[in-house]
Amino acid sequence: MGLIDKLDNKVSKTIGSLALLLVMVLLPLRVDNYVQNVLWNAMFYMLLALGLNVIVGYCGLCDLGYAAKFAIGAYTTGVLMKSFSWNFWLTLPVSMLISAITAAIVGGATLKLRSDYLAIVTLGFAEIVRISVRNMSITGSASGLIAISRPSLFGIRLTRITHWYYVFLVLVLMFIFITYRIRHSRFGRALTYIREDEDAAQAMGINTTKYKLYAYIIGAVLGGITGSFYAVKMTNISPTSFDFTQSANILLAVILGGMGKIPGVIVGAAFFAIFPELFRDIPIIGEMRMLFFGILLIVVMITRPQGLWPERKQRM
Amino acid sequence: MALVEVNNLSMRFSGIVAVEDLSFEIEEGSITSLIGPNGAGKTSVFNCMTGFYKASSGDIIFDGQSLINLKPYSITEKGIIRTFQNVRLFKNLTAMENVMSGVHRVTNQSIFGALLRHPKQRREEEKIRETAEFFMNYVGIYDKKDILAKNLSYGDQRRTEWARALSASPKLLLLDEPAAGLNREEKESLVELIHSFRDSYGITVFFIEHDMELVMKASEKVIVVNFGKKIAQGTPNEVQNNPLVVEAYLGS
Amino acid sequence: MFSIWELILQQLVNGLILGSFYALVALGYSMVYGIIKLLNFAHGDIYMTGAFVCLSVFAALGNIVSGWTGIILSILVAMLISGILGYIVQRVAYRPLLGAPRLSLLITAIGVSLVIYNTVMVMTNSQPMFFTSGLDNAAGIRIGSILITYIQLVLLAMSGVFMLALNFFIGRTMAGKAMRAIALDQDTSRLMGINVNRVIGMTFVLGSSLAAVAGGMACVYYGNVQYNMGYTIGIKAFTSAVIGGIGSIPGAMLGGILLGLLEAMGTQFLGSQWKDVFAFGLLILILIFRPNGLLGKTEIERM
Repeated sequence: MGLIDKLDNKVSKTIGSLALLLVMVLLPLRVDNYVQNVLWNAMFYMLLALGLNVIVGYCGLCDLGYAAKFAIGAYTTGVLMKSFSWNFWLTLPVSMLISAITAAIVGGATLKLRSDYLAIVTLGFAEIVRISVRNMSITGSASGLIAISRPSLFGIRLTRITHWYYVFLVLVLMFIFITYRIRHSRFGRALTYIREDEDAAQAMGINTTKYKLYAYIIGAVLGGITGSFYAVKMTNISPTSFDFTQSANILLAVILGGMGKIPGVIVGAAFFAIFPELFRDIPIIGEMRMLFFGILLIVVMITRPQGLWPERKQRM
Repeated sequence: MALVEVNNLSMRFSGIVAVEDLSFEIEEGSITSLIGPNGAGKTSVFNCMTGFYKASSGDIIFDGQSLINLKPYSITEKGIIRTFQNVRLFKNLTAMENVMSGVHRVTNQSIFGALLRHPKQRREEEKIRETAEFFMNYVGIYDKKDILAKNLSYGDQRRTEWARALSASPKLLLLDEPAAGLNREEKESLVELIHSFRDSYGITVFFIEHDMELVMKASEKVIVVNFGKKIAQGTPNEVQNNPLVVEAYLGS
Repeated sequence: MFSIWELILQQLVNGLILGSFYALVALGYSMVYGIIKLLNFAHGDIYMTGAFVCLSVFAALGNIVSGWTGIILSILVAMLISGILGYIVQRVAYRPLLGAPRLSLLITAIGVSLVIYNTVMVMTNSQPMFFTSGLDNAAGIRIGSILITYIQLVLLAMSGVFMLALNFFIGRTMAGKAMRAIALDQDTSRLMGINVNRVIGMTFVLGSSLAAVAGGMACVYYGNVQYNMGYTIGIKAFTSAVIGGIGSIPGAMLGGILLGLLEAMGTQFLGSQWKDVFAFGLLILILIFRPNGLLGKTEIERM
């Protein structure tokens, strides 16, 4: 393949992405609230998947409790706004900080151990978070927090679905930017080295425990941010929004989309958000959905462990 | 002065003695080889020197500092870089990305640099690329830089591993059976490469090898181990004529 | 009124029963982890399947045999079917990935778990099913004001018998030796003429049938089964395996019993809504302070 082809490829990719972005920006002018809400939901999953992708896709750590990370963000914002009447935007840094601290504690305890221990610890930790918020009065117990007030941005109170559509679109772009830059840097490459071969990564001078912890914290902070925005978009949050099925969905989106590849992860997340909507009215398929995903997961792991997104083309 | 001093090193795991009371020195700027029959404990010596195994007793001094109880990455930070007997590349990454991992040791951009991409970060990223490309060229795999490591031929995988080690600018380079699986021509060029590692970059080379012809041609000093113990050391000629060595290889 | 000692005694019995469930399930985790380093995420679902099979068989036997004979027969059938299921899972989903990165294997296990869980969910319409054993719940030994039922005693004895049998099998038979050999070094075992694939298959069969025993016991003890019953017990059994030292058979038993006891005491003194927090918190603490578990050995991986 010559230079022209390569350039061509890059140009067509850029044009394709820009066209897609333009469609996404203009879409709310043409579609109704229902469709906007479905797309909002898709973008919400994209944010979660992009965050988890840093942990699972880049660094190869198995996190089975990602829902807890966005639960922490959502509840931090919710509690600060409800019980302490904070402004939403001020709760964001606190939510990031608390996400980072909890991730540092959980990760610090387990990341130096065999990597599959992390899977079970994240699962256990997610249960701890869920049970705790269900049993504490400050988090509203089983019914959760209701009527969290809506924030304002540039003097506009964000109440309509279209507002949230654009807020989340901007967030998605930011998350893509952040995770793309991480991937294509010394730091991000170190994470992929760890994913590929931990011993060899150590032999190249990478402090694997430290880098794994960083990846875990970054993923948690991104999840926390998503959770904060989720809380004020939904205005109601309850423990049931953060159960294992939620964590499993996000993980499936990352893995089926193609671990580590940003476009794959985005498509995977969109698929997971939109697919149930398409079959909403056909009850049996709705119920069998996770069964189907389970089979798909096994088949993909056996036949295409690198995910469904195609490998990048390479010169031979 | 010796760059490495190994003093009374022993390494046991679950009843098996892999290395026993082993002592030797590696002179700075020398090319030394470690030979011995299969299962003599050669790779265990490497693993102790690079922190992958914890020595049961004894000491390893590098550049005046003890390496005992250091983690592999901090030993790498001190300048000891190794390759693996069974080639451990990052399989799903390109040859280029593999070699770039070597430069990790001599660069220091953090997560904030990654996000901000300030000029210093850009310069360093540039340096990482240039260093990696330079050494890929040096070992002769530059034209394969965009191929995924798992799709490279065996010989090219070995070369990629060498380039990766070199780009970490080692003071001491440990090669674990670098010639295994290479053809005759590739072995010839390996002898030259090993010499040029030292002559052009002042790298001290310590390698494990089974191919005696290569050992004789490439090394200045040979250490022979059997059952974890040192049975001889000296110039290739001295070792070749040592009856103990002959016995270890051929059996008595 | 109960005195504090009676409460403790009562919780001790409850804890032992709970602990023997955990131990039986933990054994499957530990054996599989020991032999192929897989955290078999689907193991809790195999336990759940075992409970459903036991319940269905017992209901079908209703007119022919009942009482303990019926229960034991049902448990044996459940062991057989779960064993076959465990083997099929291993053969179809895990064997093709034995050489693959461990993350792929782990994710496949999550996939298997989703498949079993959702199949049973759809088949049972998400409804719990009830198990009426017809046994007398009130018969038992009275100590002061507390009651230890015969059901509890029989269940404890039953789990004890199965654990002893497993211990004998692993320690004294050729097949058990082969399992231990593979856990130490797969390649060498293969060179020594051990049929590695067959032994791995056998490990899954054993582990799954023990989980089915626990499932059958849960039918009797709780009186109802539901598709999601395997999830929490799965995590807790894994916790038990880690507490005892993963890969260690006596460790799994010890860990299960310990966790059961601690949880029963925790429920008594902290309230039942926090009992899961207690168990998972303990897991994290164990991993921090004694990552190899109580009976586990530090291992050096050969490169």
